Amino acid sequence: MTDFSRRDAIKIAAGTALAGGAAFKALLDSAEAFAQESQWKPEKGAKLRVLRWSPFVKAEGENFTALVAAFDKVNGTQTRIDALGYEDVRLKAQVAANSGVGPDFVWNIHADNHLYPEKLMDVTDVADWIGKRGGGWYPIAELYGKRRGRWNSIPATIGGNLLNYRISHIKKAGFEKVPADMAGFLKLMQGLKANGTPGGFAMGKASGDGNAWCLWLLWAFNGKVVDAKDNVALDSPETVAALEYAKQLAQTFVPGTASWLDPSNNKAFLDGQVSLTNNGISIYAAAKAQNMPQIFDDMDHAFYPIGPVGRPTEFHSNYPYYAYRYTKSPQACKALMAYLMDTEQYNKFLAGSVGYLSHVLKAYDNHPVWKEDPKRLPFKDVAARTLPFSWAGSLGFSSAQVFADFVVVDMFAEVGTGSKTPKQAAADAQKRAQRYYNT
Amino acid sequence: MTDALAQAAADSDAKAVAAIREREGMSYLQTVRYRVAVVYLPLGLFLFILLFPFYWMTLATFKSNRELHMYKGWSAMLIHEPTLDNIKKLLFDTDYPSWIWNTMVITVSATVLSIFCAVCAAYAIERLRYRGARYVGMAIFLAYLVPPSILFIPLYTMLSTLELLDSPLSLIFTYPTFLIPFCTWLFMGYFRSIPYELEECALIDGASRVQILLKVVLPLAVPGLISAAIFAFTLSWNEYLYALVFLNSSEAKTAPVGVVTELIEADVYHWGSLMAGALLGSLPVAILYSFFVEHYVSSLTGAVKE
Amino acid sequence: MGPDAMAVSAAAVRGGARPGGFLSRLNHSRNMLGLIFMLPAAIFLGGFLAYPLGLGLWLSMTSAKVGDPGKFIGLANFIWLTEDNVFWLSVFNTFLYTVVASVCKFALGLWLAMVLNNHFPFKALIRAIVLMPFIVPTVLSAIAFWWLYDSQDSIISWVLLGLGLIDHHIDFLGDPWNARWAVIIANIWRGIPFVAITLLAGLQTISPSLYEAATIDGASGWQRFRFITLPLLTPIIAVVMTFSVLFTFTDFQLIWVMTKGGPVNSTHLMATLSFQRAIVGGSLGEGAALSVAMIPFLLSAILFSYFGLQRRRWQQGSRDD
Repeated sequence: MTDFSRRDAIKIAAGTALAGGAAFKALLDSAEAFAQESQWKPEKGAKLRVLRWSPFVKAEGENFTALVAAFDKVNGTQTRIDALGYEDVRLKAQVAANSGVGPDFVWNIHADNHLYPEKLMDVTDVADWIGKRGGGWYPIAELYGKRRGRWNSIPATIGGNLLNYRISHIKKAGFEKVPADMAGFLKLMQGLKANGTPGGFAMGKASGDGNAWCLWLLWAFNGKVVDAKDNVALDSPETVAALEYAKQLAQTFVPGTASWLDPSNNKAFLDGQVSLTNNGISIYAAAKAQNMPQIFDDMDHAFYPIGPVGRPTEFHSNYPYYAYRYTKSPQACKALMAYLMDTEQYNKFLAGSVGYLSHVLKAYDNHPVWKEDPKRLPFKDVAARTLPFSWAGSLGFSSAQVFADFVVVDMFAEVGTGSKTPKQAAADAQKRAQRYYNT
Repeated sequence: MTDALAQAAADSDAKAVAAIREREGMSYLQTVRYRVAVVYLPLGLFLFILLFPFYWMTLATFKSNRELHMYKGWSAMLIHEPTLDNIKKLLFDTDYPSWIWNTMVITVSATVLSIFCAVCAAYAIERLRYRGARYVGMAIFLAYLVPPSILFIPLYTMLSTLELLDSPLSLIFTYPTFLIPFCTWLFMGYFRSIPYELEECALIDGASRVQILLKVVLPLAVPGLISAAIFAFTLSWNEYLYALVFLNSSEAKTAPVGVVTELIEADVYHWGSLMAGALLGSLPVAILYSFFVEHYVSSLTGAVKE
Repeated sequence: MGPDAMAVSAAAVRGGARPGGFLSRLNHSRNMLGLIFMLPAAIFLGGFLAYPLGLGLWLSMTSAKVGDPGKFIGLANFIWLTEDNVFWLSVFNTFLYTVVASVCKFALGLWLAMVLNNHFPFKALIRAIVLMPFIVPTVLSAIAFWWLYDSQDSIISWVLLGLGLIDHHIDFLGDPWNARWAVIIANIWRGIPFVAITLLAGLQTISPSLYEAATIDGASGWQRFRFITLPLLTPIIAVVMTFSVLFTFTDFQLIWVMTKGGPVNSTHLMATLSFQRAIVGGSLGEGAALSVAMIPFLLSAILFSYFGLQRRRWQQGSRDD
């Protein structure tokens, strides 16, 4: 890696100035307090490279930069932050794992810490400390963060993906709220379609939105890719039941969802062409940012309905911090993780995230971010409601591949577009999943 | 091509000029209806299809976000609330100017480097005809056999050992791998068509091979040079994967990578600024090309006649 | 090496005794000089290509995964692929994509070149403008196309609806066959300008006197095209089309931005599937095998062009063989 150039110095100075004044003084104070107390002492003059995904919401990004600038100032470290789209972060983090050079510290998505665990630093001490300070981890966080009993990442936050709907449109279809049962939900979707204001879920290669609704539906009927022993169990009556339901559901979709990628439903919703879809809070935030009251006043968020299995079966994405073993500044990495997850800093993070990203520590259930705007409220519970994408099996290489290769999404899309019968699609998906689990 | 060039070479200057004049004369004789059907109609059609996406990109550039998302209320083909916000965001909220500068530096360097390597290689293969030249000429194309999507991981490791990551050199050194083969092939064609007598005369006059290359062969291959430069320039200008993987810092990025990575925030696309980025980056190049294209196209006939 | 080349080499060897010494000898030794002239290209291609290429070949025969170098497993990855329906679908898609796009690019490019070869106002400007699709970074033009093909507000659908030609939005990227044609059209759009401008350069080398002679002999327009234009253009066609085929065959960006291989893998090309498996999914070995599986096809395209088209024509005038 190249050394810090003059331009970088200017950039950091600018970042500091941006956050300057009294607000930055407060950040410095809490960074100072943390440094006094912390058991992890950053190496002298450590230079860190942090790779993260580009902020979904501006305030969160600025807040992150300011927090890191305060950390640098107090500890005499130099941290360089590079932000990329999350798909590209995964790519770069993999290249780094493979070649042993690259960023020291990554803020990634999903469970890539289970793909190359032996390349990552053990952070069990940090995780235990954070857990104690934050009133304990939600179970999902422990599941994502730990491998064989040791933590190799800090599951910093969960990004929710829930139903987004137009209030007036579902009212017109005869519903006050989104029904919490499968039959009612189908009725709602049929009603929306009949009124000429259809809903729609992504059936294309949408790694976020596509996986979110397909996994929810599969699990809602107690279908699963693998059982608890990692045996592929996709070709089951439960899966077929889920697919039968999906077939009816897909008939209510707005035309064209077979090609939808992650951004498509945002656009369609903002254009007023889809009345119900699944997404994070980004549609709502964009409508506010672009001053479109006809959208943001008339929309709200809801949980997915609960299926025959009788409990929530949602899928929300994990965003872990981890550091590579090759880093020359392991203590600085640990200190930075602990610092970012400590009370003061985590409070600021949640406030800046305005509902995009939710807490994974139980102490934050009453954070003001969930009270300021009732439309954010459903996102408060996503950490409690989500299952891991590997469910019911273990996290690791095979589950990551099945997930990345869109095995489940393709199966639903095949049925949704009518190119295969539910039985056929389940059998074919079983074969595809077996390829990954049998190696 | 050889026949054509030989033919052209055989013509005297005067005769060629006369021929052109004659051809122009013939075109005046063509009926208007014929010219509309053969030239203007197809030309208009081509221009419409080739340029329509640009019209669409221009619309997006000057539309407000609100207008972009409101189809029904507005007629989509026109701009009702023109705004410069998207361009402002692009120029002042991102490092766009420095991305363009980086792309220029990288592209020009890689192009010059590749053309230099390709000229030397093509000259050696085609005019020196050293032992095994034919096989080397073919082997150069093996470069296209494995796509970048597999090459970039080992390359990343190599570049990190050489401490070139995050530096423009990482791209300046890797782009020639896909530029040299095409340029070499193009030059091989041009060099082959140059009469050997020219070179032999120069050799007898005591010129060195380098002198011959610079003073005899290259001037005859000017259209080839332009064509290769256009090709190499455009390919480097467009490259995405290597630039994405090898560069990290925001100011170090190239234009395509910068625009895509910083104007797409997860599932929110900043359409206006994205399209502005595409247009602003392409226009200067298009203008640059308007000078070369004519030269590239018209100098081919003249070049051989010296 | 021809006999005259041998003679020159022999003279160069004898020339060692002559005044002028090493430099002059170097100047006359084709092999030595050849080596020196080849050096710059060799450094780049050897260093930044041959080595990683070797590694790619090796990877294809290992079980390498992200963060795990894997072990040698011979041809297992390839056998694995032959049993994979998605792989065969991608092979089919790649061929369809390459063949249709290349043929169209050639036909339309040649047509455009012949149109541009006429006289009309603003000729230089229009010739440069025609290059625009080639200049815009592919990722960005792909995003623009993705939007033009949007399932809800494609302007194409809106216009056709407005004209009353269709009664519902066209699902450009959602239906497997629509999606295939849509990405092929985007590729053609991007590829035409380069083919056209290069062929235009070729057209300009054809002496008008040939056409005049043919016209006097009573040849029809088609005959002039068939017996003058086409044969004289063959060498430049060979170059352009070989490269067009190579780049179309290994295309990645366009598909990745517009469909990521969807819907249900119906636009996955071998290159995108390789990226999907190796990088997104993390099976480096399998992804590398997918790339290596492209080699025979690419090799045959190159050989076909080299022996079939290019060599025959271009060699006619040269005196070496």
